[in-house]
Amino acid sequence: MKQGRSLRAYAIGYLVFLYAPILLLPVFAFNDSKIIAFPLSGFTTNWFSEMWSDAQVWIALKNSLTIAASASILATTFGIFAARASQRYRFPGKGAAMGLIMLPLVLPEMIVAMSLLVVLLAVGVPLSIFTVILGHVLICTPFAVAILTSAFQSLDRSLEEAAYDLGETPVSTFRLIILPLVMPGIISSLLICFTISLDEFIIAYFLAGADTVLSAYIYSQFRFPARVPAMLALGTILVLVSICLLTVAEYFRRRGIAKTGGKDTGGFL
Amino acid sequence: MSDAKTMIEFRDVHKYYGDYHALRGISASIRAGEFFSLLGPSGCGKTTLLRTIAGFEGIDKGAVLLDGKDMADVPANKRPTNMVFQSYAIFPHLSVEENVGFGLRRDPRSKTEKAAAVAEALEMVGLKGFGKRAAHALSGGQRQRVALARALILKPKVLLLDEPLSALDKKMREQMQVELIKLQRQVGITFVLVTHDQEEALVMSDRIAVMFEGEIAQLADPETLYRRPNSKKVADFIGTMNFIPCQVLSESGGQIEVDAKGLGRVALSPDQCPPGNGDTAMVGLRPETLTLLYPGQTTAERTVEGLVDEVIYFGDMTYYDVYLGGTDVEVRLSMRNVPGRPILEVGSKVDVAWSPSALVLFR
Ligand SMILES: Nc1ncnc2c1ncn2[C@@H]1O[C@H](COP(=O)(O)OP(=O)(O)OP(=O)(O)O)[C@@H](O)[C@H]1O
Ligand SMILES: [Mg+2]
Repeated sequence: MKQGRSLRAYAIGYLVFLYAPILLLPVFAFNDSKIIAFPLSGFTTNWFSEMWSDAQVWIALKNSLTIAASASILATTFGIFAARASQRYRFPGKGAAMGLIMLPLVLPEMIVAMSLLVVLLAVGVPLSIFTVILGHVLICTPFAVAILTSAFQSLDRSLEEAAYDLGETPVSTFRLIILPLVMPGIISSLLICFTISLDEFIIAYFLAGADTVLSAYIYSQFRFPARVPAMLALGTILVLVSICLLTVAEYFRRRGIAKTGGKDTGGFL
Repeated sequence: MSDAKTMIEFRDVHKYYGDYHALRGISASIRAGEFFSLLGPSGCGKTTLLRTIAGFEGIDKGAVLLDGKDMADVPANKRPTNMVFQSYAIFPHLSVEENVGFGLRRDPRSKTEKAAAVAEALEMVGLKGFGKRAAHALSGGQRQRVALARALILKPKVLLLDEPLSALDKKMREQMQVELIKLQRQVGITFVLVTHDQEEALVMSDRIAVMFEGEIAQLADPETLYRRPNSKKVADFIGTMNFIPCQVLSESGGQIEVDAKGLGRVALSPDQCPPGNGDTAMVGLRPETLTLLYPGQTTAERTVEGLVDEVIYFGDMTYYDVYLGGTDVEVRLSMRNVPGRPILEVGSKVDVAWSPSALVLFR
């Protein structure tokens, strides 16, 4: 039993290390002091209003949301094509192609960011949120492919043939049968890509040029101690939004499983 | 039946998967309104052949004709066939009635007419009142029925069934066999069934094509197939058959005389002698065509002495393995266990009655 106890201590220590800093975010976001330290000095919502009235935050947020929405939609669309192709067709070089698509998953983002920067500068593309979208599509697509491949693979091939047999065209079969059945996968892919893009820093920092995005903006504000509490307030809101998004993603994944009568074998989350 | 028109015709159909020759010159016709089965061991190409009718599989040579029309350029969604898949392929995100009515989407009839058609189809398969249920919450047998109703609602010229009963347990399977036969008689649609279960094929079919390795070995009605298999392979695949070495003594005008080991000289009529394959000559006898004679019993048939070597009790039947007439030829025979008929012991000396007309010559 001794071993059991030390394992439990390890697990608790791990969780504390992982989540305590995140829990400190709201604590100091509501603390009535510019200094981030204990003891706490009182409750305030000033930091939230300060953040709220900061025009730069709104610009950065708008840029980040634009990037995240575009990147998640594009990556998921590519993911649908790639997953469908890998599930349905056999072609020479398929293994290599799928491997290359998945590679950015293990490639350091720094390298992606650097090489993109070099190429974009060489070609003469001005840096903006569009170049960030490009980079984010690159790093989000492997996640989309991974999620969607499992969604497509769990589809019984004969469902498609049955619809075709009953008079539908390949296009209407895709719309009536395949799409609804992989929809939970599509939604989780969208949400996860959105989250990844929203808090991505390196690529956003390298490729945004003069445009501000949220992650880079927050980092830049940490240079001014007086701005830190307002950033913690912003962080608190982001944590809440992330939790909501991931919960929705998981909800759709589970509903998809329940709807098709499958068994939950553990999800992406 | 024999004057019914041809519904499906295969003309020298060949199909390759890469280098693998999956269908090797299939030629056959299936009649309108017939219950036709494709029977064969795993991997012999039954599913492939069925899928060439549905249009899911193209062919490399030959032609498939449906109701007299060449189907070469007709895609699956335009063919007058519908399929019941082995996995049933019930759309899991739709209700039972949405599944059944799926094929009516392009039907110009009004909503109420379509709803009535769905209700009628559900009633036909014994699922009245199940329309609103979620399809994924059904049992195997119920899914099977939904798949049937969904395929039949379009009133296809041909219904294709790929091992539709193999996922059901034995009881359910037997029940569904009977229901399928009834259903087929009721709707009068040509059914083509794929199965690897010889009993199922014998019970259900008007005619059966036995397939081995991409070829049709024999196409006949169940009785002919059982009583007059045209090769050892078919005989072995369908039921049990005793093979007894023999020598062909004479052949004149179709009449063939053989000397079968243990049985002696027998004259065979032409229908007992399918064309030879160049194998060593053997005569075949089904176990139930052999009878043990109990003391005091007599028979008009020919008899041979035997020695019981093995007794296998099966409840309603007993199987005996018997050496014939002092030879090393052992045959299996089956006796129904009726009152007053004792079960013999190993080592008993018995008389075995057999009928020359039950023999088939393989060579
Ligand atoms: N898509 C395919 N690609 C390559 N080979 C195939 C393909 N489909 C079938 N085959 C091969 O063709 C042969 C016939 O297959 P088929 O599915 O028609 O067999 P079957 O008689 O239905 O067998 P079973 O009883 O196992 O279903 C098999 O050897 C199989 O491996
Ligand atoms: Mg098969």
